[in-house]
Amino acid sequence: MNPSTRPSRRALLGAAALLPVGAALAACSSSGSDAPAIGGSGGSDGGGGSNVGSDYDEIIAGGPVADDATVSGSEWAQGIKEAGKLKRGGTTTGQIFSLKDPSTGKVTGFDAGITQLLAQYILGKDSTEKIDYLDTTVETRETMLQNGTVDVVVATYSITAPRMEKVNFAGPYYSSGAAIQVRSDDDSITSVDDLKGKKITTESASTGYDAIMKHVPDAQDSDIQQFAENDQCIAALKQKRVDAYVLDQSILLSNAVADDSLKVVGEPFTKDPYGIGLSKDHEDSLDFVNGFLQKIYDDGTWAKLWKATIGQVVEGDTPAPPTIGDTAATE
Amino acid sequence: MDAITDNIPALLHGIGTTCLLTILGYAFSLVFGTLLAVCRVSPIPPLRWAATVYVEIFRNMPMLSLLVLLAFGMPDAGLLLPLFWTGVLALVLSGSAFVCETVRSGINTVPIGHAEAARSIGLGFFGVLRFVVLPQAFRTMVQPLVNIFIGTVIGSSLCAAVAVPELTYQTQAINNQYAQAVLMFLFVGAVYLCLAFAGGLVGWLLERRLSPTRLLNRHTTRIGAGA
Repeated sequence: MNPSTRPSRRALLGAAALLPVGAALAACSSSGSDAPAIGGSGGSDGGGGSNVGSDYDEIIAGGPVADDATVSGSEWAQGIKEAGKLKRGGTTTGQIFSLKDPSTGKVTGFDAGITQLLAQYILGKDSTEKIDYLDTTVETRETMLQNGTVDVVVATYSITAPRMEKVNFAGPYYSSGAAIQVRSDDDSITSVDDLKGKKITTESASTGYDAIMKHVPDAQDSDIQQFAENDQCIAALKQKRVDAYVLDQSILLSNAVADDSLKVVGEPFTKDPYGIGLSKDHEDSLDFVNGFLQKIYDDGTWAKLWKATIGQVVEGDTPAPPTIGDTAATE
Repeated sequence: MDAITDNIPALLHGIGTTCLLTILGYAFSLVFGTLLAVCRVSPIPPLRWAATVYVEIFRNMPMLSLLVLLAFGMPDAGLLLPLFWTGVLALVLSGSAFVCETVRSGINTVPIGHAEAARSIGLGFFGVLRFVVLPQAFRTMVQPLVNIFIGTVIGSSLCAAVAVPELTYQTQAINNQYAQAVLMFLFVGAVYLCLAFAGGLVGWLLERRLSPTRLLNRHTTRIGAGA
């Protein structure tokens, strides 16, 4: 036995040997992520690289601006105007709703559009640059609202009773529903009842878990696998770890558009209202933001934004905007 | 508090899974890491090189990357392991690299004269390790090994990212329904603290038992009693 070492020579050999192995691992990882990059699905032109309609910027620019009296009437809005920035909590990696284009830094999508319209409503025209996009997660949303780190949370934020105890919700501004995604060659699942005894995946930050537990007959906790990202859920489905993927219909539809091996079956089986999260410390913000939403509902901006974002993947006519204050989820 | 009291079965299940992940991950790391260390000090160059390459890869790769790579990369290569075992595998791959280096440095603390003396009385390579070098080396390795245990406990929480239903995963799921992040993560933090502390305590007891002065005292007492 020779415990003494000759580090220099060994380190050199080790480093040399490491190179091919590292390359092999890298190759392995790239093949592991052949889940569709949805950002590129709608924008085959590549330039925009986004999944929104070409008139997106126009729609935002055409949104309403509040008059001075309306803004000064709300201490909350006045504060934002004085700061000159709207701090939005959410994500910039959400397909369809809020996706950042890494090459331009532009954030687009339905939630992003609502945020940009709100910023413009408070701060005036050309305010889309005056937004701080701060990342919030399911764990941090309520706390970051409460301590004022963010002014609003626009993040496919489902209105639920426990959350309403901690924060206020303006809206709802969108009513979503959970649907079912399966592999294209799988004809055994056509409705939520067929999910009985199946393995199901959903995003951990969504209301998918609740939807499964309430609607799938005899749903077992151990049959549900929750992953943080859409891409991971898709990978789990395609690699047959699970038989179905339950999430907001629009996201599943965009997955199906991007990837032929996936399809969406049946109609949404829940009603899931999304609200704009606001701090309870600023009660006036609730009326103010609801007033803003009513304005974009009435002048048609909301419908145009829907068409340019969610309407790109959901077939059929633009729905009527949800009724403000109608926060009841169908459970 | 509802968030905790309503979900005690789920949380206990999570704690159980965390313990199982940790115990399996650490046990296999110890075995595999020690074998690797033996390779690294062996007189056969290819074995030394292979172990060095292994250590440099898995010691320097973030656990989370490794987990996601194993969970989503292996099925594409045709190996669909249950997620729990994927988690154990990641903990072992990473943990054994650290154990290897700890054991190797422990072995290097034993003066070469001891090994030479052992060899001169006819012990082979494994005999020298088993009866002379490793027992002495183990004493200096206790605290570093406890560190690796704590790293395994804490690292097991990353398995939540690939849907292993351990404590962090259960907590995230519960928080999604109850919106009680601060409370839930305080609770989970306390549980991890207890688990890691228990490991530290065992290490401390082991270290005390193995300390040379204590061994010496025990020896002298026995001689004294015999006299």
